[in-house]
Amino acid sequence: MTQALPPSAPEHASALEVHQQIGALTRQLHDSLNGLGLTAKVQDWAGELPDAKSRLSYIARLTGEAAEKVLNQVDEAKALQDHIAAETRRIGELIVKDPVAAVAKGHVMNFISEVELSSKKVDAHLTEIMMAQDFHDLTGQVIAKVVNLAATIEEQLVQLLIQTAPPEAAVKAPVPHAPYVPALSGPAVNTDNNPDVVTDQSQVDDLLASLGF
Amino acid sequence: MAKELRFLIVDDFSTMRRIVRNLLKESGYVDADEAEDGAIALQKLRNSNFDFVVSDINMPNVNGFQLLSEIKKDEKLKHIPVLMVTAEARKEDIVMAAQQGAAGYIVKPFTKATLEDKVNHILTKVGLK
Repeated sequence: MTQALPPSAPEHASALEVHQQIGALTRQLHDSLNGLGLTAKVQDWAGELPDAKSRLSYIARLTGEAAEKVLNQVDEAKALQDHIAAETRRIGELIVKDPVAAVAKGHVMNFISEVELSSKKVDAHLTEIMMAQDFHDLTGQVIAKVVNLAATIEEQLVQLLIQTAPPEAAVKAPVPHAPYVPALSGPAVNTDNNPDVVTDQSQVDDLLASLGF
Repeated sequence: MAKELRFLIVDDFSTMRRIVRNLLKESGYVDADEAEDGAIALQKLRNSNFDFVVSDINMPNVNGFQLLSEIKKDEKLKHIPVLMVTAEARKEDIVMAAQQGAAGYIVKPFTKATLEDKVNHILTKVGLK
């Protein structure tokens, strides 16, 4: 087993230097933000970042669940297909061997019934696979919100850089872009202990029924 | 046998439009058109005949609430039932949709059975089934 070696003297000095430089940069950024009155804005971003984190977790959860659902449905549909393929071969052999007996003993009719039932089951699995694709819509709305937050922070940071740049390094302010921002709240990412949102269709129906709709 | 009713599916996500369209087809409603936002939907509604609208809420340009409001203000369109199918899960949005005249409200993600039940219930209620 290898053991971590203690840093050599030059490495240690270098790490200390980097640490001090980061500290100085942080202090400088803090002073600049205060001086420009941007502290409140930074606090707003900081407040939105946990929300962005939970939104990204929501996306990861939904995409994971959709993939899992699709793979499970495919497994079940493939098992049905394999069974039908094996049964088709078996019935084929029976018919070749003795066609009259295959019909008379009910093998052919049983096979037809089984194919019909399996087809319905496979169709249901295909519908479930289709339904699993709704994650695209739900995550797309959430991604739009996170992208909008990132764009806002980027714009504010660019403005900060422009305002604090020395005259010789002054750059022309970029034209802020206006991304599409959904005006509504979108999918409910955090439903725990939130009485203002519904978590499933039965709650929608109950709410509308309680209001006489 | 497929019913001769014409549906308009309004959603900015093509995936969701395809899902709703396929589900309606599985339920026997094969005649459906699509619009990617409320503005395009209004154009199609005014230029053609539809019996039923299935609409998202959160869309660019003209959103689902604005579309619903325009439909209910229009003498020629206000009889068309509008079923909202949306990710908006706030109670105030659900109540607002009902107050504005939505015939039903489905929150995403939903099941095939939910869509089928709501569509059939609304069609029965308005005498189209």
